[in-house]
Amino acid sequence: MSDFTISRRSVLAGSALLLASTALPTIGWAQTPKKGGRLVVAADSEPRNLNPAIVASNGVFFISSKIVETLAEASFDGKDGLDPRLATSWEGAADGLSVTFKLREGVKWHDGKPFTSADVAFSALQIWKPLQNLGRTVFKDLEAVDTPDELTAVFKFARPTPFQLIRNALPALSSVVPKHIYETGNIEENPANNAPVGTGPFKFAEHKSGEYYRLERNADYWGKDQPYLDEIIYQVLPDRTSAASALEAEEIQLAAFSAVPLADLDRISKVPGLKVITKGYEALTYQLVVEINHRRKELADLKVRQAIAHAIDKDFVVRTVFLGYAATATGPVPKNDPQFYTTDVPTYAFDVAKANALLDEAGYSRGDDGKRFSLKLLPAPYFNETKQFGDYLRQALAAIGIDAQLVNNDSAAHIKAVYTDHAFDLAVGPPVFRGDPAISTTILVQSGIPDGVPFSNQGGYKNDELDALIAKASETLDPAARTELYKEFQKKVAADLPLINVAEWSFISVIRDTVGNVANNPRWAVSNWADTWLEA
Amino acid sequence: MSPLRRFLRTPEAIAGAIILVALFAMGLTAPLFFPGDPHAIAGPALLPPFQDWSLPLGTDRLGRDVLAALLHGARTSLAVGLAAAAAALAVGAVIGTLAGFAGGLVDEVLMRITDAFQTVPSFLLALAFVSVVGPSLGVVVTAIALGAWTGPARVARAEVLSIRERDFVAGARVIGMHPLEIALREVLPNALPPLLALSSVIVAAAILTEAALSFLGLGDPNRVTWGGMIAEGRAVLRTAPFLSIIPGVALVLTVLGVYLAGEGVVETAAVRRSLS
Repeated sequence: MSDFTISRRSVLAGSALLLASTALPTIGWAQTPKKGGRLVVAADSEPRNLNPAIVASNGVFFISSKIVETLAEASFDGKDGLDPRLATSWEGAADGLSVTFKLREGVKWHDGKPFTSADVAFSALQIWKPLQNLGRTVFKDLEAVDTPDELTAVFKFARPTPFQLIRNALPALSSVVPKHIYETGNIEENPANNAPVGTGPFKFAEHKSGEYYRLERNADYWGKDQPYLDEIIYQVLPDRTSAASALEAEEIQLAAFSAVPLADLDRISKVPGLKVITKGYEALTYQLVVEINHRRKELADLKVRQAIAHAIDKDFVVRTVFLGYAATATGPVPKNDPQFYTTDVPTYAFDVAKANALLDEAGYSRGDDGKRFSLKLLPAPYFNETKQFGDYLRQALAAIGIDAQLVNNDSAAHIKAVYTDHAFDLAVGPPVFRGDPAISTTILVQSGIPDGVPFSNQGGYKNDELDALIAKASETLDPAARTELYKEFQKKVAADLPLINVAEWSFISVIRDTVGNVANNPRWAVSNWADTWLEA
Repeated sequence: MSPLRRFLRTPEAIAGAIILVALFAMGLTAPLFFPGDPHAIAGPALLPPFQDWSLPLGTDRLGRDVLAALLHGARTSLAVGLAAAAAALAVGAVIGTLAGFAGGLVDEVLMRITDAFQTVPSFLLALAFVSVVGPSLGVVVTAIALGAWTGPARVARAEVLSIRERDFVAGARVIGMHPLEIALREVLPNALPPLLALSSVIVAAAILTEAALSFLGLGDPNRVTWGGMIAEGRAVLRTAPFLSIIPGVALVLTVLGVYLAGEGVVETAAVRRSLS
């Protein structure tokens, strides 16, 4: 299959076909999915490691979730917000010490070997727990996985672990990889990390660095008649401005993860044949956060942190930086979370006079030049929006007499500066909320995290009360009691401001209207696309 | 005819001079017209030019005044261009003079170092330097000078090679002046004119390099730079092209002005030389 290339001719032929299809009258809404076709998608990065069991991040999932499946996927209407994938049912023991998964029958790996509970046990114990960025916390007490038969896996925990947490973690953390491929040699250096083998609807075909990834249909997929597409091509378009033109030129059919700049959406939504979709990212909420280095004596003062919170006009940020495609934040859990969010937290209205008064009270009066003190501000470079918010924050701080000096770094240097060297006073970060505060949210506040762990509390913040609350919630089994504890957590974080939550945003897809079954689950862009189809 | 009048005879020199004077005026008056921070949010976001006369050139994505940014950007561009050129000329002149005057091993060593710097594209050198040390105005100036001193060094050396054989140099030797003193006080000033002719090219290149670095996000983020403005406008190129076009035009005019004025100076000097 190595003779595959995207030639000008095939693109032209494909686009001519697409063009012709738009001329056909659209048949009503109850369409039956058609088989075949090639979906071309914009990819903005080429992850170094494509193994989602090791690197649980959206950049990796975007490609590899079609190849490697999880035990369950997020769902709009399924029980507990889940849809079965490799597991057909899951049940937690009352003592919180075990969870039993029943696995799907007749599933085969892409190389033809059968999928069994041994693969689940191997993935959980050898990869998720010791190696995975998120699994390290969630599965830290996982002691053993019993496999009484080929289709049953029983997770055994050393300490009571809330079933609610395990359930919420399934969509992102439970990618199952084949034991027979990973059991020999060093897992992190296994060649399958770059050419994944899974059970998913698509097989990894090839990757041409700087050009594209190609996935092809898995004919032996367990889903009836699925997948519909023959091929998925991830066209590498690292330049954010090129995705919009590629869509208009019909070179690609989908640009997910806001590959089209927000400022362009208004214009592009009027292009015939293109749709702007905000659905399908409900479980992938990013939070715009001001990270604070509490080692600075000024910032260790609660009044100063409150003043900064009052100085930020969240509505302006949502309106101007995000052009309305975001929501203002009240605390560490986003508003769109159905389980944990509470409005019952202290809030900080935009009030420059009050912010100035708080700073005066704290004893930092303005000098002759109108400045109270200087700070180093490091906006994360990953998103246009984080950089722009950095520019805004500098102005907002200037209004209350704090002179913020911007320091721009590339991604690697930013992560090192903030999370290893602590060479920052304020930083702008985009942590992700993953459906449960214990997965990647409490770590932003908790103390005692070693230096160098990215996206964690590296600001030297320590609050025994909050630490105790986090510890208690992590072993509370009753979902209602656990939810209450996290509401308390939100309240305390909003009151003591270890960090300042400014806004919550998700992504936008721009897609050709010939693509069917789009955005039909809360993690659609990173789900398996088995039911996605093309009208051609 | 005085050199100034001769300079003003050439039309391109006049054009260049006008642009430069306007530019300096812009840079110098920026703090008068727009006191305070040019980054301050002044109005609604993405206001097109010529809509609101208090914001004649419109606003950017955060509602910052484009005209204020343009004027303050002129300061940065000129400051970086002049400082980098001055540094490059100073370093180049001294190294070239020493190499040419000392000759022998010193000449060999200094010229091989110059060769080494010349083989690396100066923009790559600047890029590498800034990304390692971290962007700030001083670092950007140093980075640009680092790639620009080799030209002046070679010109100075060639000039010094002919000057050092002149009688006044021999005279200076006879009265017992220290060789270093002869090199720097007697020879160097006489080697300067051709170097100055080179300066306009260096200033223009320095302004462009600074803009390119800022465009790539390696400029000083706390200052307005035209390159940075173009880069920021790029995200909204389709909906608000003026955000990239305005600083782009300013950049083109500046480089053109510096170049034309430089040409005029060179021509004036050439005429004077042929007259004498």
